[in-house]
Amino acid sequence: MRLIPSVTLLRSTALLTGLSLLSACEGRQSVLNPAGRDAQDVLGLIWVMFGGAALLWFLLGAIFAYVTRVEPREMPRRWGEALIIGGGVIFPVILLGALLAYSLPMMAPQRAAEEGLKVHITAEQWWWRVAYELPDGRRIVSANELRLPVGRRTGLVLNAHKVIHAFWVPALGGKVDMIPGRETYLSFQPEEPGVYRGQCAEFCGASHALMAFETVVMTPEDYAAWLEAEAADAQKPASAEAYRGAEVFAREGCGACHTVRGTSAAGQVGPDLTHVGSRKSLGAGILQMTQDDLSRFVAHTEAIKPEVAMPSYDHLTLKDLRALAAYLKGLT
Amino acid sequence: MKRVMQTLVVLAVGGAMVAMLVVGLGLYNVSARAGHLPGVRWLLHTTYQQSVRLRAPAPEKVPEDIAHPDRVALGALHFKTSCAFCHALPGQAQSATAQAMEPPPPHISQAVSDWAPEELFWIVKEGVKMTGMPHWPTPDHEDEIWSVVAYLTTLPDRQSQIALAGEGRDRAGCAQCHGEDGNSRNSYIPRLDLLTPGQIAEALRQYRDGRRTSGIMQEAASLLTDSQIAMVAQKFGSTKAPQEQSAPAPQAPSAGARLAQHGTGDVPACTACHGPARRADAPIAPLLSGQSQAYLETQLKLWRAGHRGGGERANLMRKAAQDLQDADIKALAEWFASLPPS
Repeated sequence: MRLIPSVTLLRSTALLTGLSLLSACEGRQSVLNPAGRDAQDVLGLIWVMFGGAALLWFLLGAIFAYVTRVEPREMPRRWGEALIIGGGVIFPVILLGALLAYSLPMMAPQRAAEEGLKVHITAEQWWWRVAYELPDGRRIVSANELRLPVGRRTGLVLNAHKVIHAFWVPALGGKVDMIPGRETYLSFQPEEPGVYRGQCAEFCGASHALMAFETVVMTPEDYAAWLEAEAADAQKPASAEAYRGAEVFAREGCGACHTVRGTSAAGQVGPDLTHVGSRKSLGAGILQMTQDDLSRFVAHTEAIKPEVAMPSYDHLTLKDLRALAAYLKGLT
Repeated sequence: MKRVMQTLVVLAVGGAMVAMLVVGLGLYNVSARAGHLPGVRWLLHTTYQQSVRLRAPAPEKVPEDIAHPDRVALGALHFKTSCAFCHALPGQAQSATAQAMEPPPPHISQAVSDWAPEELFWIVKEGVKMTGMPHWPTPDHEDEIWSVVAYLTTLPDRQSQIALAGEGRDRAGCAQCHGEDGNSRNSYIPRLDLLTPGQIAEALRQYRDGRRTSGIMQEAASLLTDSQIAMVAQKFGSTKAPQEQSAPAPQAPSAGARLAQHGTGDVPACTACHGPARRADAPIAPLLSGQSQAYLETQLKLWRAGHRGGGERANLMRKAAQDLQDADIKALAEWFASLPPS
């Protein structure tokens, strides 16, 4: 029995690992799969930087191999100095200088001014407060999901409530820190409709890994219709179960922390729930927007999202929880 | 040298054997009647005094409202219930049984004159070993201990003390603190007429079973049976039919009104659960309009510190209070206390 794995086995394992890492980069949370102008710029920058780095590495490696393996003889002093100064100083300075000159001008477009729409995003622990500021000054409050029109540049005004977070939608653009008490700015120009995942990219506490969101890129017509629906008050409960759920919502004091526009619920601590049922995900990108997941999240909030401000409502009966979930699901 | 060592070993072994005999054969007399051996009383008493002086909190810890008449009244009523058996009330004699204790508990009129308020606080809170003085039943409720101290420091005004505690020797009943009609008319004592019988019964069970702590209420509830609790709850609880509470009359909004009704990014709106403008028929939480102000302040501080026990929804309130500042708590208590009861 051989205890030492063969070189072939090691090689194939390394290859497989490499392939699986690459495949993990495919899809809706990947810089390698850009869906907007800014992400394309970032990807171009990545390839150019990678090419430059590869060039530098291979050339210096070649010089090193030449003097140690190919011609390991004593060489005239002038030749040696030319190799060391030329290959070790002048060439890297020129190459790195060129890369710097290429990349610096790319910063400004990533923060280009918006065309009409501005979105204010405040990072909370561990969710996203979102407010759409229309050109006429109106503000539409939402949470845990970002919707953008395709082909138009939208400004993102970033802030944080208590600790530092970072905003990152790899498929749409760069990554920017969100700092309490200080506004940072970024803008996106998406080019392909679709759903792309964003994730907090700066460790921000116990549930940092559970702080994500979906970015939905829509055609301008769909977007206008959606924005109008989002601006409206909440829908009235449509079924007997949902009606019961609305009563549970009021009785349990949910409105102390959450706002449902058009009802007496006007709390500011947690996410706005006016149209929660229309969102693609629940709990800031971690659960499905289904009745099952809704009732599970409300009953076991602190277990699903450690150290979150919302208490678990595990004292509610299953019937109340299901009704509450039906009500929330119906808030489309 | 060797001889010295041998002598010491023999003495040590001999001493240990004598000590074992004294303890094991019961040779030492623990009779309270016989009292202490000469010098021991002085030794113990000096140790006690020095220990209290070393450990008492700084004088700055004495609350500003220590002389508030409501606070003194609460302390007086609890003193009558829990302390007067040993220390007697002003103007009364100590019982023969209390006087037969070793050491004899000092009469109220002599017990406190040697001590500063913060030292009295420490003694009431911690108790004194090898005497009959118990420690306060819970470490979480320092505000109650200060209320007892508030009463003790009214000495030497004996007349007002007698007036406060009443003449009789009986323990104070529910009504003596909370009022015959459930309205305590005391800022430090909660109004029971604003609670439902169910809420009162639940609170009493929590006190009795130790799920909610209070040196005063655990003492009061410790001997209650379930049927007595039901009776008390019916007697003092609100008997009004369920009704829609009216919203507060419009007025210049105070800081407390704003915080209670709208909350902030960190603090939930109190009124979503505690009224006013909330149906009172299936309350998950007590309605607070008109509730006693100092009581509300104390409870909010307990919630914030995580020391307030409670029922199945206690976690909700603990989380709701965790970001409150002292000024917020004061403003909220003021606003709720100023509202007309429903």
